[in-house]
Amino acid sequence: MLYQLALRNIWRNRRRTLLTLSAMIISSALLILALGIFSGMLRDMLASATEQYYGHLVISAKGYQDDRDMFRHFSMDKSIENVLKQDEITGYSQRLRSFGLLSHQQNSSPGEILGILPSQEQTVTGLQDSLIDGHYLTADDSNGAVLGSGLAQRLNVVPGDQLVFVTQAADGSIGNDLLLVRGIFSTGDIGYDNTLVLVPLAWLQQLLVLPGQIHEIAVKTDQPLNAAALAEQYRVNLPDALEILDWGEMLPQMREVVASYAVSRMIIVTILYLATGLGILNTFFMAVMERTRELGVLMALGMRPGQIRTMIMLETAIMGSLGLLCGAVVGIALSLYMALVGVDLSGTLTPITYAGGTILPRLHAVIEPANILIPSVCLLIVSLLAGFLPANRAAKMQPVVAIRDAI
Amino acid sequence: MIFLSLLKILFLILIFLSGSVSSSLAVDLRELIRAVEQQYTGQSSISEVEMTVVTGHWERHLKMESWSLGRERFLIRILAPIKERGVATLKVENEVWNYLPKVDRVIRIPPSMMGGAWMGSHITNDDLVKANHIDQDYNFTLLEETNESWRIEGIPKPDAPVIWGKIIYQIFKEQLVPSQIDYFDEEGILVRQILFDDVQTVSGRTIPLKMTVVPLEKPKEKTVMHYRKLQFDVDLKKDFFSLGNLKGRR
Repeated sequence: MLYQLALRNIWRNRRRTLLTLSAMIISSALLILALGIFSGMLRDMLASATEQYYGHLVISAKGYQDDRDMFRHFSMDKSIENVLKQDEITGYSQRLRSFGLLSHQQNSSPGEILGILPSQEQTVTGLQDSLIDGHYLTADDSNGAVLGSGLAQRLNVVPGDQLVFVTQAADGSIGNDLLLVRGIFSTGDIGYDNTLVLVPLAWLQQLLVLPGQIHEIAVKTDQPLNAAALAEQYRVNLPDALEILDWGEMLPQMREVVASYAVSRMIIVTILYLATGLGILNTFFMAVMERTRELGVLMALGMRPGQIRTMIMLETAIMGSLGLLCGAVVGIALSLYMALVGVDLSGTLTPITYAGGTILPRLHAVIEPANILIPSVCLLIVSLLAGFLPANRAAKMQPVVAIRDAI
Repeated sequence: MIFLSLLKILFLILIFLSGSVSSSLAVDLRELIRAVEQQYTGQSSISEVEMTVVTGHWERHLKMESWSLGRERFLIRILAPIKERGVATLKVENEVWNYLPKVDRVIRIPPSMMGGAWMGSHITNDDLVKANHIDQDYNFTLLEETNESWRIEGIPKPDAPVIWGKIIYQIFKEQLVPSQIDYFDEEGILVRQILFDDVQTVSGRTIPLKMTVVPLEKPKEKTVMHYRKLQFDVDLKKDFFSLGNLKGRR
């Protein structure tokens, strides 16, 4: 009975209902979009720090990441392969690293050489998407090189040119060989653009006289913000001589940036929730408030205060859920647009490199369930509260006083 | 009165003498260090050296021949092992080039790599370039004098482009040959020692033929250079030290 009454009440004053609903839809949709953009910025920054180079987790010999000592190498074995089979792992890349001198004609420059398997590396880092010239290494390439734009400029090379790399091999001899420039990438991070060179793993293993050896395995997971817990979980299954580090341990500044970002995000989100919540509270509150007289009549006809409260709560619950449903749909649609298209600000802003991550000049949203569920639940509670307060007030009045109550 | 003026003159003479003594000593020290730093090169030289490099991971023996002219020109080429035969380094003034026969390329060492190891040893490219200028870039004082030897301290001149914070030489008085050189970094920590051994007289000069470089932060490592043949004041022209000759095509 009450349920039908509530439905009829909603239907009766369409203008009021539509007004209340639209307030709900617009505020919740904008809140969902704003949360999506905040998450997108955080993910962009984290991605630039981890997906240009480090990956989310790195497996290496104990101490290797501290001094990058060439002799702290290892080879793939069964136990490592088993760890890499976990569901959360979306990709991994075996790497061998060397530091040495690169030269082309009269120009020479120090550089960091990363021996990789192209098919694996692409599952961890996104350098193949940052190419500005030439193409990425292919699986059958024996002596190709893909290098950063700053380094290419200093050496004055374009795709097709030859490069010499010289370094000290693991047997003490002077390792030197020719590379062919295949592609040039530009990440916006000066550190990588000015020093990094990708070469085939087998080429570097031969040059360094380290057959079958690697220095690290970079791992990408589907839970970057949960990387520390995953590292903890995998650690027990790895050989004793190896260690596994998450991005927070390799980029401690980045971890602090993420933590401080989380705090500032929370402050802004709280303000957003308050603003949206108050808007909805206001609309719902007034909508019930103006019906004090009507509620007085209902009580005069014999409706008990408890029934009044339940009826209003039913009304607000129905309207709130409907509004939030529509709001979530609109919010997801807006977020989807921002996720797929985004807003490019590169005309007015340049990329900022900070704490190992690069903030790209674009607005880009991501869709996370928490960004839709949490605001929905919060706003529903707010709207129920907004309905309950005036209903409670009316229910406590004498019917005569309520009927006389003029707005 | 006369006595007093005599005293004054005596005093002045004393001051003059002590001044001239200390200044002449300073010049001597500078000359001495110059002679020590150039003991293997002289005006010009041709030599054959065996170099042994020991690290915690490997041990290598290289045989090399080298040519030098004055302070500024220097060419060294590896003769053995076969894998690295023909690898050569040319220094002309402040520039260093390496030649790599495997890829047939000459590579100029950029300033940022001057601190890097030369041929995998504990000698840096900077040592090749700057060692010959030590007598010009440092001020020297005599720390200690015994019957056999001098201990001489070198402190860099205020604006000299040097890598060491302090150098201490131990030099045998009689033969004028060094026994040990200690290198300190800017914080005053001893980081490297060069020990000299096997003193012999070669083409009229008395020099230690064996030189051991010990990096103190890596206790197990060392580089030993042993001169096998040494010839001074040979007929070498400036154009011998060319990029063409670096490649070994004469």
